Amino acid sequence: MPRAVKGVLVECDPSIKALIISLDSKNHNIVLADLDDEHLVIEERMVEYVKRELDSQLAENTFKPAELDDIRRK
Amino acid sequence: MSIPRFRTSINDYLEGLPEPVLIRLYYSPATCLAIFRLLPAMAQLFIMTMLFNDKPLAATDLNGWVQDGSSTKQYEALEKLRGMHLIKESQGTLSLQKTFRAGLRNALTGGDHNDSFGIPCNTEDKHRVDIKFLDEHANNQWELILHFMVGTDTGKVPNNGVLSLLRHSGLMEGSTPSNMRITNAGFQFLLQDVNAQIWTLLLQYLNMSEDLQMDAVEVLHFLFMLGSLELGQDYSLVALSPTQKIMLDDLRDYGVVYQRKSSSRRFYPTRLATTLTSDTGALLTAAASMDSAISQKELETGFVILETNFKVYAYTDSPLQIAVLNLFVQLKSRFVNMVAGQISRESVRKALSNGITADQIIAYLTVHAHPQMRKSIPLLPPTVVDQIRLWQLEMERMKIVEGYLYSDFSSKNEYDIIAGYAHDLGVMAWEKSNKRMFFVTKEGNQQIVDFVRRKVHGGA
Repeated sequence: MPRAVKGVLVECDPSIKALIISLDSKNHNIVLADLDDEHLVIEERMVEYVKRELDSQLAENTFKPAELDDIRRK
Repeated sequence: MSIPRFRTSINDYLEGLPEPVLIRLYYSPATCLAIFRLLPAMAQLFIMTMLFNDKPLAATDLNGWVQDGSSTKQYEALEKLRGMHLIKESQGTLSLQKTFRAGLRNALTGGDHNDSFGIPCNTEDKHRVDIKFLDEHANNQWELILHFMVGTDTGKVPNNGVLSLLRHSGLMEGSTPSNMRITNAGFQFLLQDVNAQIWTLLLQYLNMSEDLQMDAVEVLHFLFMLGSLELGQDYSLVALSPTQKIMLDDLRDYGVVYQRKSSSRRFYPTRLATTLTSDTGALLTAAASMDSAISQKELETGFVILETNFKVYAYTDSPLQIAVLNLFVQLKSRFVNMVAGQISRESVRKALSNGITADQIIAYLTVHAHPQMRKSIPLLPPTVVDQIRLWQLEMERMKIVEGYLYSDFSSKNEYDIIAGYAHDLGVMAWEKSNKRMFFVTKEGNQQIVDFVRRKVHGGA
């Protein structure tokens, strides 16, 4: 009998996949299965957490002109 | 672009009506004319060829009117005509629906004396109003509704009728006037142009009116009649049925008509009414030749300048327009006649997370572009347009599908059978046959489970 595991299929590009795997390496509670270069199965409850972390990591690396103005003013 | 989209909605509504209802609709010449205007050009051509011809037309004769290579347009036009029950087909010939033919002929030749185009008042109005007053009145009423949606503090709240319409149409949610909040659909609504907004509300009104036991046919008659009225002319209430008189009260609240008080025996249509079914006065385009067809009011609505460095300068002091701009622009400074700001990643992401799409932002900027911007081709700087789209793509880096991962198949045969079944059902989201694993969607899982159980019990 085949086994069925409940989860969420994530389709993304390899860079995002690498980010998710690195997030998982801390607690191992996110990724259920690594399918191929562009697909992962992750835990349903962790979906929001993954999205938030992804957003914050990507935002870290963007330049915000508004901040530059504030810094200049100080 | 909004008028074609709108036409599809009112067309969808009309096509959804059953044939007897449509035939009742066609009794009014004004409605026939309005429906004629809503049709695509080729359908209009076909109707005109059949209009004054009493004998049925052979379907192949129509091919003579169509250029080679436009046969898809011909097919679409015929489909539209069939959908609205405008043509009758028998044995390869086509003829126009009788009532519609009589109605349209009437509308064009002004034959029978009829009230469907509205009866102008022949008595003098002691409190006559001019076009400028009507425009201002329409603007104020309409902006009152929009301000209420955006949440600017004007102190005035629209009537209960308007509030319940906003609630039913899903543009706002909440039970009391003080705790009503705008929804995602409401945000999208705000970015549309006025004509599209009016039609959205009127279509909702139509849907609601059926629940309120108002005759949809009479409501439609009145709406199409409004589209053919003349701005600045007062019309008498004599021709209106009781249902239509109730409608008049509601339409006053939206600023579509003006009535001095509810006991007045006359009403004036505003520009919002007269441009309901016409092409002009609706959308701005960059082509100079359209400028002459656009009324003075529309030219004044272009006020936003967008530069290649993402800075936005809006020459307006209307709190409503400033509030709408605030949805996706980070406004930095405000002057007497202008506000200035910048489109930033944050501001666009805030808009995107509220449900506004990049296309809507771009459409809004295009429609409200300052006349100075029209000198450059393309209208909006491509850098900014592309970047707004890229920011939207950034929000969608992960595609999520909920479901179940199947693995551990005992034999290749078993895998093939179950995977094949999942494939045929169309519930397979991903598969890898050499690893013998696949993923099915949550909705489709139950069927796969049942199939596997049946197979196991069947002992295959």
